[in-house]
Amino acid sequence: MSKHLLRALPELVAAGIIDNETAERIRLHYEQKDGASSNRLFIVFGILGALLVGLGIVLILAHNWDDLSRITKVVIGLIPLLVGQVLTGWLILKPIEDRAWREGVGAFLFCAIGVSIAIVSQAYNMGGSLADFLLTWTVLSVPIIYVLGSGIVVMLCLGGATWYACELSYFSYLGTDAAPMYWVLLATIVPYYYRAFLLPQRKNNFYVLISWMFVISLSICLATVAENTGRLFMIAYMSMYSLFVMAGESDMFKTGRVLSNSFLVVGSLGVISILLIASFTDFWEWESTPDGTAYKLIGMAVIAGVALLAVVVLFRQFQSKGWGGMNTKAFSFLFFIAIYFIAVQTPLAGAWLINFCVLALAIYTIRSGARQNHLGILNYGLLIITALIVCRFFDTDLSFVLRGLLFIVVGIGFFAANYYMIKQRRARS
Amino acid sequence: MRGLIVGLFIVMCIAQLAVPGKMIWDRENIVSSGTPYKFRTQPIDPSDPFRGKYITLNFLADYGYDTGEWSSGESVNVVFETDSAGYAKVNRLTRDEPDGPYLRTTIYYIDSDSIVHFTIPFDRFYMEESKALPAEQYYNQSTRDSASVCYGLVRIGRGQAVITDVFINERSIVDLVRGANDGN
Repeated sequence: MSKHLLRALPELVAAGIIDNETAERIRLHYEQKDGASSNRLFIVFGILGALLVGLGIVLILAHNWDDLSRITKVVIGLIPLLVGQVLTGWLILKPIEDRAWREGVGAFLFCAIGVSIAIVSQAYNMGGSLADFLLTWTVLSVPIIYVLGSGIVVMLCLGGATWYACELSYFSYLGTDAAPMYWVLLATIVPYYYRAFLLPQRKNNFYVLISWMFVISLSICLATVAENTGRLFMIAYMSMYSLFVMAGESDMFKTGRVLSNSFLVVGSLGVISILLIASFTDFWEWESTPDGTAYKLIGMAVIAGVALLAVVVLFRQFQSKGWGGMNTKAFSFLFFIAIYFIAVQTPLAGAWLINFCVLALAIYTIRSGARQNHLGILNYGLLIITALIVCRFFDTDLSFVLRGLLFIVVGIGFFAANYYMIKQRRARS
Repeated sequence: MRGLIVGLFIVMCIAQLAVPGKMIWDRENIVSSGTPYKFRTQPIDPSDPFRGKYITLNFLADYGYDTGEWSSGESVNVVFETDSAGYAKVNRLTRDEPDGPYLRTTIYYIDSDSIVHFTIPFDRFYMEESKALPAEQYYNQSTRDSASVCYGLVRIGRGQAVITDVFINERSIVDLVRGANDGN
């Protein structure tokens, strides 16, 4: 596009549509834009290069060279760490602010830390689980985030912390251990996220990627503290997803595009998914008998804590925005908590109420999409209705004719709504 | 602000070097001055995504008899002795720090007959990636002969231990596999 425009500039000047000064300003604008984009590419390739070299060293040393003595192996394993540290020192003492260098060296140093611990473990045949290994690696890497201000290291540490929590809580032999250090690691990363992105409102690619990792990581790891609370823990998840929706709608986390707003996307999908799961009568009939005492207390405290936080944030957002400015999904956790206590007594009534909630949210989403003239949001609302009908498809108490008719109605709805909106857009333009 | 970052950088470098450094220092001390024990074992061949191939060792001396009030997950100090055949066996379990070499570990579970099972922290023996599987196969072949014996040579210090080699019929498993590969 820019090349076409630049080529057309002399013609536009000759025709008297723009003057020489404007033509020069357009040329300069595109030159600067090209510069920024090539710098971005340089950062991406710097990170990729450093990660590939670092992981390559990890794999080469994982071969466990028998011919090398123990001390030789250890010394070789520590060399990448020293190289990474010297490069980091050079970057901060010089100081060099170039992003590509800082991100590349950060990624390399991260890998080098893993190499150094791995080689010592190999050389001395140390046991220890993969979770311990990942924890040590991530803990030693967190300072790089603050020293170099490296976005890629934030992502790698988030990945490491998540993997550690999964190893300990989901993948281990018994799979019942909580991962308290996950929350400590998260607490050490969040201040950087706040200071580097939220406070200056810097919504760059790193912000988007880190935010996505952050919400996915929380979605995976919240259940690590759920032990023995059973179905009740769904309240914690529902409250967390409602919080995500509220965060996604706030100025602090808002981004220009829907897909880059991970809080809103994951929050909204999370709310709908839980409601769809809870729309089955079986979900409420399933006998969830929590047992254990001490560990259950932690789970209960988490449920109460997250729900309370959601109430506080909801109240504050409601005060500043009022009914009109609120996303209905932000209230979902309140409805869910209320329905929960009805449903555990009378599962059928609870399931019906949840179905009604999903339908209401779908209609609200369709209305919101139509008002904003946003085809994506409109179709999302229609998809929610479709998902609800598919779920009901598995329930045997509805007749085949009725289910068939529902599908036809929604299919026509899809076509009609999209047709109507596109037609309106054309009429406006 | 820059001073703070430089300070953090120095602390970070020290920590990143100190953790592997401490691991090396502790293990080197045990390798050079720890008391050697032979632990009878069985090897199998798994893999770790970062640290490569190793053989897991199933030790036979992973329990002791004790009527004390122990619970799963509790820390325990295990003192070993050598049996008449020259292999390690548990002498006693204690909460106090004993004199001489001992292993600090955790209780795994307790049998109803006061048999206390504990975790063995030196259950991995890393091998060159092409040799871990042949090592296991070599062990399986050797066990067809009932007289064959496999044991890990473990040096135990004050709380920690390092496995330095695995032997099948008094020959190092590394040499055995190397010999088999060279023979091919």
